Amino acid sequence: MRAILEKIARWWALLGGAILLLIALVTVTNAGAFLADRVARSFGATVSGLPGYEDFVRLAISAAALMMIPYCQQRRGHVVIAFFVAKLPAVARRALDRISSGAMALLALFLAYWMWLGMAETEADHALSRVLGWPEWPFYLPGIVSLVLWGLIAAVQTLEPRGHG
Amino acid sequence: MGERELIGLAGLVALFVLLALRVPVGLAMVAVGIGGNYALSLVVPYLRFDPFLKQFKTLLWNVVANYELSVVPLFILMGFLASHANLSRDLFQGVNALVGRLRGGVAMAAVTACAGFGAVCGSSLATASTMGRVALPELRRMRYAPTLATGSLAAGGTLGILIPPSVALVIYAIIVEASIIEMFQAAIIPGIIAVLFFLGVIAALVRLRPDAAPPAAPMDAGERRKALIRLAPVVMLFGAIVLGLGAGLFTPTPAAGVGVVAVLGYGLLLRLRGEGLTVSGIKLSVLETAVTSGMIYFILFGAEVLKGFFSRAGLPAALAQWAGASGLDPWIILIVMLAILIVLGCFMESLAMILVVVPFFWPTLVDLNGGDYASATTAAYGLSTDELKIWFGILALVVVELGLITPPVGLNVFIIASIAKDTPMGEVFRGVMPFFGVEIVRVGLLLAFPVLALLLPRLVAG
Repeated sequence: MRAILEKIARWWALLGGAILLLIALVTVTNAGAFLADRVARSFGATVSGLPGYEDFVRLAISAAALMMIPYCQQRRGHVVIAFFVAKLPAVARRALDRISSGAMALLALFLAYWMWLGMAETEADHALSRVLGWPEWPFYLPGIVSLVLWGLIAAVQTLEPRGHG
Repeated sequence: MGERELIGLAGLVALFVLLALRVPVGLAMVAVGIGGNYALSLVVPYLRFDPFLKQFKTLLWNVVANYELSVVPLFILMGFLASHANLSRDLFQGVNALVGRLRGGVAMAAVTACAGFGAVCGSSLATASTMGRVALPELRRMRYAPTLATGSLAAGGTLGILIPPSVALVIYAIIVEASIIEMFQAAIIPGIIAVLFFLGVIAALVRLRPDAAPPAAPMDAGERRKALIRLAPVVMLFGAIVLGLGAGLFTPTPAAGVGVVAVLGYGLLLRLRGEGLTVSGIKLSVLETAVTSGMIYFILFGAEVLKGFFSRAGLPAALAQWAGASGLDPWIILIVMLAILIVLGCFMESLAMILVVVPFFWPTLVDLNGGDYASATTAAYGLSTDELKIWFGILALVVVELGLITPPVGLNVFIIASIAKDTPMGEVFRGVMPFFGVEIVRVGLLLAFPVLALLLPRLVAG
């Protein structure tokens, strides 16, 4: 179970990274069009940028950002202040970590539940992005999957001592 | 103080207790936010819990679906790609080829490379860790004193947080609704001052103790040429990003997007001579970006929940009111705030600290300065609100940097000590103290002359 979840989180994060690279490529194209427009204007012509570029970035980053969190949890990458408990016995530190991981699992699943409701509401409201006019609700889906995956990974970590992630 | 404010204060105490118990920062923020709002709903009938809960339907999505914030993962990805393409090594070796023959030159090259790499990397801890691995072996080979070698790297690593494009500056700008570009411009002169001060410290140290930095043998001409050839594209790449942002030629997201593609392209080009980025290097860069970005987005979300609780509890307003009624000089209050940031900076990750502390400090400063519409002539700090935003942001980040090398727990010192395994922590701290001293001078200069931060934004704005 643990190995499968880790593999999924890794590939899910890589997919998020691929979206990030796509954003970078689209940004370069848009910036290129902007520069070409500057040049073309001196010859009386125009080159248009990508319509709805900011809309696209906003929607794409909403997916990419959340897709990275499960892997961050898997690597126990969330920032902690270790200084004050560094002198505690290992058993106590492990217990604190388990409680944190358990709370993290509950929080992730709590957020997944509410985001699911949010997606249903956004669909019912026919919410569209401002320029592209794309429906927003499908962009909630990667986030919900990410939150469930995050919750499952944190739940598995609750059962295991720190340092094996 | 009313019940609402007391609950807010209890929430603040609970937050620090949870943080001290090694609860992840984002989780602690959300837990206190939810618990605090529940407590408020019990005491203040009109602050109902139900509407608060319902905001979770869209709150997280709204935090991440943000065009301006997209710059954060993009810059992080660019930094990791640059690191895996060994651009940090090329930078260090190139600068070393230029100044390595000077007495203390290798340490100077390390600090300069830290500034250059920190600029694209945006994180002090990552800069210290990357440059520590790149430069420490060379400093050792040249028989530099361990205090000088580790002290330069721990101090040099702090430069990453301020020199644009800095992730911390982006986050600060978003919290106080300042212009990201103006923040970047404002950071350039203080960043250059830091580099010059650090180089000055190294020059002074080696003059006082010549044995701390033995003279280097002349570099082989072919090797030197190779290092300089490799340095040129790195300088052009990093320089274009920093100067372009500083001069306001492009906005942060296009700069980050172009930066990612340029570093990726250059890294792949280096494959032609068997170096640069491999597929596994790209994968690792993406995965490391996932860890750092995931951490930042979670803290940002936590800060959003916490901000809602504190403002419902009226805590920032109460703090501002208290500061105004205390009769204390606004400058004393500002210095106390900076001291708090230095102390917290020893323990806390810089972004988390900015997100927790700035929402409290900022309204207080605005009140002390004379309110939202204060003009420079009547304001307590002699600055309009817009300029106060910029100046305080730079000051805050400089003292956060200082926290990273403040004994006994500066995080950068821990990182360098963990890389230089045979150098005891105490010695690294001893090495970092001269740099700590000039950092205090820099804070004093910025306090006395806000124009150091404000000059470039004023010039660019005309």
